[in-house]
Amino acid sequence: MTEHIVSSYDDDLKEISDGVISMGGEVLGALNNIETLLKSNDHELAQKIIKNDLIINDLGQSVENKVFNILASRQPMAIDLRIVFSAVKISLYLERCGDMCKGISNRVLKGDLNEAQSPETISLLVNMCSMVHSNLRIVMEDYSKKECENSVKVWKSDSEIDSLYSEILMDILNSIKTNPDATDALVPLLFIARYLERVGDQATNVAEETYFVVTGEDLEGLEKTEVENETTF
Amino acid sequence: MVDGTENDIKPNGNYSSDNNLLIDCKNVDVFYGDKQALYNVSLGINEKEVTSLIGPSGCGKSTFLRCLNRMNDVIDSCSISGNITINGEDIYNPNIDVVELRSRIGMVFQKPNPFPKSVFDNVAYGPRLHGKIADKDEMSHKVEASLVRAGLWDEIKDRLNEPGTSLSGGQQQRLCIARAIAVDPEIILMDEPCSALDPIATAKIEELIDELKTNYTIVIVTHSMQQAARVSQRTAFFHLGNLIEVGDTENIFRSPENEQTEAYVTGRYG
Repeated sequence: MTEHIVSSYDDDLKEISDGVISMGGEVLGALNNIETLLKSNDHELAQKIIKNDLIINDLGQSVENKVFNILASRQPMAIDLRIVFSAVKISLYLERCGDMCKGISNRVLKGDLNEAQSPETISLLVNMCSMVHSNLRIVMEDYSKKECENSVKVWKSDSEIDSLYSEILMDILNSIKTNPDATDALVPLLFIARYLERVGDQATNVAEETYFVVTGEDLEGLEKTEVENETTF
Repeated sequence: MVDGTENDIKPNGNYSSDNNLLIDCKNVDVFYGDKQALYNVSLGINEKEVTSLIGPSGCGKSTFLRCLNRMNDVIDSCSISGNITINGEDIYNPNIDVVELRSRIGMVFQKPNPFPKSVFDNVAYGPRLHGKIADKDEMSHKVEASLVRAGLWDEIKDRLNEPGTSLSGGQQQRLCIARAIAVDPEIILMDEPCSALDPIATAKIEELIDELKTNYTIVIVTHSMQQAARVSQRTAFFHLGNLIEVGDTENIFRSPENEQTEAYVTGRYG
């Protein structure tokens, strides 16, 4: 796409996109830390993740302010309108991701991992965190390049995270059945799995928005099998 | 790439959104002397809808608008080919009564142009000219009804004998709209009707357009993308005399099919 006649309009749009990309970077950093946290049960790291959530919230607020100003001053149209509209939605999704990371950290601080004593389940949670991180990284890369091919793949592969979530759920329930005394120690892990599953959902939401920015079409309305045939990038 | 010389460009989007077609333009070429102003334009305009014509200055949108009521006939060097029908009737048929045609198609211009007459006589001018109303009471009723429809009655009902030119710019433009609708047209053509008005007067005209579309088919030329987005159901983008894209307004401003349309509506054209 060529540049605007009014060059400051390009600067304003870039600031909004850059703000969203920065938020994505912070959330990816938080997910990296969560992966380490699940392995290490490091309470200092948990505190750091919680503190980091404030930065994510501030970035989200900043994106919101910039969107407010550009709507009032430029009345964007077509691709510009899609960029601006999607920036609001993606920043909200990322803010929620930050909240999930904070939620996991709070559970760790409560000592959930101390009592869990279930290395297999923790290992599955680490895998899940890694998958979620990978998906979010891919869609944020697409977003920064204003491309959507890989976002569509992520959108289609979200069921893999859901499957892993179900596997963790079954694993925990089976452990509880065989060892009811471990119930109190295992249930908190369900919450952590749920938080990660929701971060995965946010990654697919970002994929949908990126697809909308690039194509002007709604990804959600299409059958997943159709998407492969209909999108040529 | 449109270079202004091609005559076989097929515009993106749908020529007409449904079968509610009132004005049907096919392969319209317009020349001013040797200079071609419109290239093979085919565009359908639906009844009781607002259609916006957008595009940069000199793209041919006003020329196209003026083809619809044969205003271009008054320019000696102008020649038109192609086919334009309204309700299936060829408006360039040599046997057609142009005065009667124009009574069916009102026009509002960029700059309000009330006649140097009273408010009353401005509105009564058309019905008198076309001999539609002879009775005085009936004429008073017609003037009142037209001013009510134009959203002006309450503001100027006590000033009917004052000169039309004494009204504010926004009131003058609504007076011109009242004058246009006094002859019961089917179609109202508007050529940048708000470009000389302040935001409040513009809002009143836009509100009026919204109300008028229940009874009239409106074609509006505008340079304001936001105005086109607000008031029209269909939008057509012209560039260098070619119709580049036509479609539902929502689609044109959300995700146009053509890159040139996108460049223009986002302010990247140049």
